[in-house]
Amino acid sequence: MDLDSLFSCFASTSCVITQTTSGFIIGMLLFLVAVGLTLIFGILKVVNFSHGVFYMIGAYLALTVYQTTGSFPLALLAGGFGAALVGLAIERAFMSRIYGANPLMQILVCYALILIFDDLARLIWGGDFRSMGMPDVFQVPPVFIFGGVAPPYYIFVIAVAAAIAIVLALVIARTRFGKIVRAAAHNPAMVSALGINTVAIYALVFAAGCLLAGLAGALAAPVRTVSPGMGFSILIESFIVTVIGGMGSIAGALVGALLIGMLRTFGALGFPLFNEGLMYIFMVMVLVIRPSGLFGKEAA
Amino acid sequence: MRALSFSRALALAAIVLGLLFALLSTTANHALMDFVIRLASLAIFATSLNLLAGYGGMVSFGHGMFYGFGAYFFALTMQRAGVSIPVAIVASILGSALLAAIVGVICVRLKEIYFSFVTLAFQMLIHATILAAMPLTGGDQGLRGGVPRPPFLGLNLSNQKQLCMFSAFLLIVCLFAMHHVVSSPFGATLRMTRDNADRAAYLGIAVDRVRLKAFIIAAVFASIGGLLQALFVSGAYPDFAYWTVSGEGIFVIMLGGTTTFLGPLLGSVLMLLLNDFVSRFTEYHGLALGSVILVVALGLRKGVGDFVVDWLSARSEADASERTKTTEAAS
Amino acid sequence: MTDNDSRIGRRAALVLGGGAAAMLAAPWVARAQARTIKIGMPTILSGRVATLGISSRNAVMMEMEKVNAAGGLAGRPVEMIFRDSKAQPQEAARVVRELVNTDGCEIIIDGEASSGSFAVQEVARDLKMLTIHTCSETSSLSADPKLRIPNAFRCVRQGVHDSVAGAAYAAKIAKEKGLKKWATCSPDYAYGRDTTAEFVGYLKQFAPDVEIVSESWPKLAQPDYTETLTKLLQANPQAVYSCIWGGDLTAFIDQGNLYGVFSKTPFFAVNMADYTVLTAVKNLPQGIHSGNRYIKTFPMTPQNAAWGDAYREKFKEYPTNWSWQNAAAVAFLAAAAKKANSTDTAKMSEALMGLTIDSPFGMNGKITMRAEDQTIVDYAIGWGTTIPKEPYMPNVTPGDWKQIVELETAWKKSKGYI
Repeated sequence: MDLDSLFSCFASTSCVITQTTSGFIIGMLLFLVAVGLTLIFGILKVVNFSHGVFYMIGAYLALTVYQTTGSFPLALLAGGFGAALVGLAIERAFMSRIYGANPLMQILVCYALILIFDDLARLIWGGDFRSMGMPDVFQVPPVFIFGGVAPPYYIFVIAVAAAIAIVLALVIARTRFGKIVRAAAHNPAMVSALGINTVAIYALVFAAGCLLAGLAGALAAPVRTVSPGMGFSILIESFIVTVIGGMGSIAGALVGALLIGMLRTFGALGFPLFNEGLMYIFMVMVLVIRPSGLFGKEAA
Repeated sequence: MRALSFSRALALAAIVLGLLFALLSTTANHALMDFVIRLASLAIFATSLNLLAGYGGMVSFGHGMFYGFGAYFFALTMQRAGVSIPVAIVASILGSALLAAIVGVICVRLKEIYFSFVTLAFQMLIHATILAAMPLTGGDQGLRGGVPRPPFLGLNLSNQKQLCMFSAFLLIVCLFAMHHVVSSPFGATLRMTRDNADRAAYLGIAVDRVRLKAFIIAAVFASIGGLLQALFVSGAYPDFAYWTVSGEGIFVIMLGGTTTFLGPLLGSVLMLLLNDFVSRFTEYHGLALGSVILVVALGLRKGVGDFVVDWLSARSEADASERTKTTEAAS
Repeated sequence: MTDNDSRIGRRAALVLGGGAAAMLAAPWVARAQARTIKIGMPTILSGRVATLGISSRNAVMMEMEKVNAAGGLAGRPVEMIFRDSKAQPQEAARVVRELVNTDGCEIIIDGEASSGSFAVQEVARDLKMLTIHTCSETSSLSADPKLRIPNAFRCVRQGVHDSVAGAAYAAKIAKEKGLKKWATCSPDYAYGRDTTAEFVGYLKQFAPDVEIVSESWPKLAQPDYTETLTKLLQANPQAVYSCIWGGDLTAFIDQGNLYGVFSKTPFFAVNMADYTVLTAVKNLPQGIHSGNRYIKTFPMTPQNAAWGDAYREKFKEYPTNWSWQNAAAVAFLAAAAKKANSTDTAKMSEALMGLTIDSPFGMNGKITMRAEDQTIVDYAIGWGTTIPKEPYMPNVTPGDWKQIVELETAWKKSKGYI
C-alpha cells in the first residue's frame, strides 16, 4: 500500500487531472465493449462471453487495412463494420439457435467460438504480437490542461466514444427502432404478435454490439498489442463493468466503465500491488448489496 | 431420473472397484495409469460441479476455487506439517468446507446469473490471493520442491501404480458418496429448491440453508479432485485455482450430460481423450476442440450421456408401443 | 612345405572367414548402435507466447539436423518429438510423462517457462531421465539445492546475471549524468519482481546515491499501461528501469510514446533488444538502454552472425532469446554424448558437469555448464543502446563475468542456497 502518494495526488490539481483523464481513456474504450455486451444481454438475454472475439477481429482488420492503405479512417470503418458482418454471420449460424436455451449451453457455445476464433486469428495473421503504428496526425507531443497531461490520440478516442454514447442514447430513447427494441426486451412475444420481425431486430442488435466492440478494437490497435487472445482481458473487464452497472443498462455500462477506469488509475497510486483485487472486491460488494447492479432493474 | 437404492449402489460400486483393481493390477501401461489418475481428479471435480449446477440449479463459475484450494491446502499440509496422507486429506476436506461456508453464505443468497457472477468474482479473488501470498504459496511459480508422499497403511503413493489404485479407489468412493447425497431426501429437497424455490420456501424449507449445504458438499468433493492433481504433478500451481478450471468443469458436464449422474464421468473421459488425442497432432487444438463443442452443443443440444439415455428410453418406449400394437393386432 | 602352405592356407581361411563373419555381422552391430534415440520436447506452441515456443522448436530442429548429419548422439540418430504444453504446468507434467513412458524418449529438452519448468523438474525427479531446461530464467530452479537433481540441467540466461551486468552498466551512466531519482516499472510476477529487486540492489551498491522514487507493477499481459505511465509522469524520475518483455513491451513503448516519456527520460529496458520487439514496434525511440537477448551483432563474431543469418534464411524471421538457448542446449547434448561416448543418463549427466563447449553465443566463444549448480555461465551478456533500424544495437558493452559470478555467489549466500 502506498496511500501517501494517493493523498499527495489529491492535493495536486495536475495529478488529479492527469489521473482523471487516464481514467476516462481506460473507461471509454471499456464502455464501447461493455455497452455491446449489455445491449445483447438486455435484449437477447444471452451473456455473450465471446464478445472479446469481435474486439480482436476489429483490431486485426484495422491493422491490415491501415498497413495496406495507410488510411486511418478507413481502418476504423473496416474494424467496426468488419466485426459487425462477422457478428451477423455468427448470430445467424449459431447464436440464434441458443436464444432461451439453458445458460450453460449458451456459455459452452461462446467458449467454443472463442477457441475457434483465437486459432483462426493465429492461422490468418500468425501467432506473433503485432503493432499497428500510430497515424502521423497523432504523432504529436501531449497537450497540457491545467498542468495535467493528455495525449491528443486519447482525446480523440474519448470524443469518439462519447459521441457514440450520445447517439446510442438518442436512438434508444427517441426513434421508432429504439421503441421496438425496448419493447422487444420487455416482451418479445407481444412485439412479434404485432407483426414486427423480432428475428431481424435480434440480428441487428447483435451486429450493433459487435460493431461497437470492433470499433473499440480498431481504436485500441494503434496503442495496444494486437495478438490472438487479446479479446480475453477486455472481456473480463467489460464483464465486471456490466455486472457493476447492471446487465442491460446503457447508463450502467457508462458509469461502471468510468468507475473501473478511475479505480484503476487512482488505485495504481494507492494500491500498486492489489489493483486488480480492488476490482473484484468492488464487484462482490455491488453484487451482495444490489445483485442487479447499480442501474439494473430489480431482478426476479 | 432413476436412482439406485443404497444397497444396490454400494454393490455396484464394490463390483466396479474390484474390476478396476483387477484390470489395473495386471497392466504395466504407464499412459493408462496416468490417465486413470487424471480421470479420477477431473471426474470427481466435474461430478461435484454437477451436484451444484445440475441438481442444485446453482451454476457456479467459480467452482475451480475449491479445486485449487484443495490442491494447495493438501500440498502445503504435506510439506509443512509432516503428517500422513490421510490426515492431510481430512484436513483439506475440513479446510475447504470452512472456506465454502464463508464464501457460500454470501453467494447462495444470489439467484441465477448473479450467483454465477459472484462465484466467479470470488474465484478471481482466491486466485489473486494465491499469487499475492508469495512466502506461503510461492506465488505465480507455484508450490515447488515436490509434495512428500510418505507410505501409509502399506501404500506408497510415490509408486505410480499404487497412486493409480488409490485414485481409482477415491474416485469410486466419491462417486458413491455423491450418488448417496443426490438420492437421499436431501437430494430431493435440493432438486425442489432448484425447480421452484418459492414453493419450497412455502413448504417450510429453508431454501438458502439447503443451497449452502449443497455448496459446501460440492466444494469438499472439488477439493478432493484438486488434491489428487497435486499428488499427480507433485506440486500446486495457481492455474489450478484459475477460472479456466471452472470453465473446463462446465464444459465437461455439458459434454457428458447434466441429467444423468454419471454424465460428468463420461464427459471427463471424452474430454481427456479429446485433449490427449488432439494435442498429439496439432497446435490448433482450440480450433478442433471448439468445433467438437459446437457439434455437441448445437447438434445434440444436450450432453452425450443425456443423448444416449434419451435415445435408449425412446427406443424402449418404441419397443413397448410396438409390442402393444402387436398384441392389439393379435387380439 | 605343403604342410606349411596348408597351414597358411588354413590361417588365411580363418582370417578370411573371420573377416567375412565380421562383415556379415557389421550391419547388425551398426544397426544396434544406430538405434534411434528419441528426444522429447514440451514447449509452449499455442497461446500468448507461442512465438517463443515456436522459435525454440525451430532452433532445436535446425541444430539437430547438424547433429544427425554428424552421426547423431554417440552414433545414434536423433528423432525429436515436440508437444504443446499450452503453458499449463499440469499439462507440461503430463506431456513429459507421456513422452518418456509412452513414446520412449530418453532425453527431455524442456522448453517450458517459469512454473512449467518446476513441474517438469518434479517429473525428472520421478522418472530420472536426462533433462535440460532451455527457457526458464528463474534462478531458484538451479540455485536452490532443495530443487536440484543430478539428471537435470539448465541452459538459460539468468535474471540475476542480467541484473548485475545491467546495474554495473547503469551505475556508470548514472554517475556520469547524475541520474539519482529512478523509477521502476516491471510486470507483477516472480521474474519481474526478482529481477527488478536484484537490479535495484546492485545499482544502489554501485551508485550509492541512487534512490527509487516510484514503483509500478502492471499485470502480465495487461493491455493498457495508461495508469502506469501517468504514475511515472507524476513521479518525474531521472531514469526508468523496466523488465517488461515481448508484446507487453511493444504496447508499453507505443503508449509511452504518446506521453513523450522516452524523449526526455533515459529508459533502461533489459528486454528491449529482442528482435521480436524491435521489429514489431513501429516508432522505436532512439537510444533505449537494453541488455542483449539474442542479437547477431553481439558477440561480434562471424560465427554468431552466420548463425543468425542461417536461422533467418530458414525460418524467415530472426531468432529469439529462447532460440539461442535451445541451440546451445543441443550443442551441450552433442558434446556430452561425445565425451561420454554413450547416451546413458548417468554417463551423460556426469559428462555435462563442468563441460565447456565452443559456441557462437559464448562471451569468448565458449559456454560452460557450471558443475556446482548445473547451469550455464560465460554466455554473451552485455548492454547497449538501440537504434530504430538494423543492426538495432550497434555497440554493446560486454558484462564482466568475474564480477557477475562474485555477486551471484554473494546473492546465493544471502538466500541460504550455499
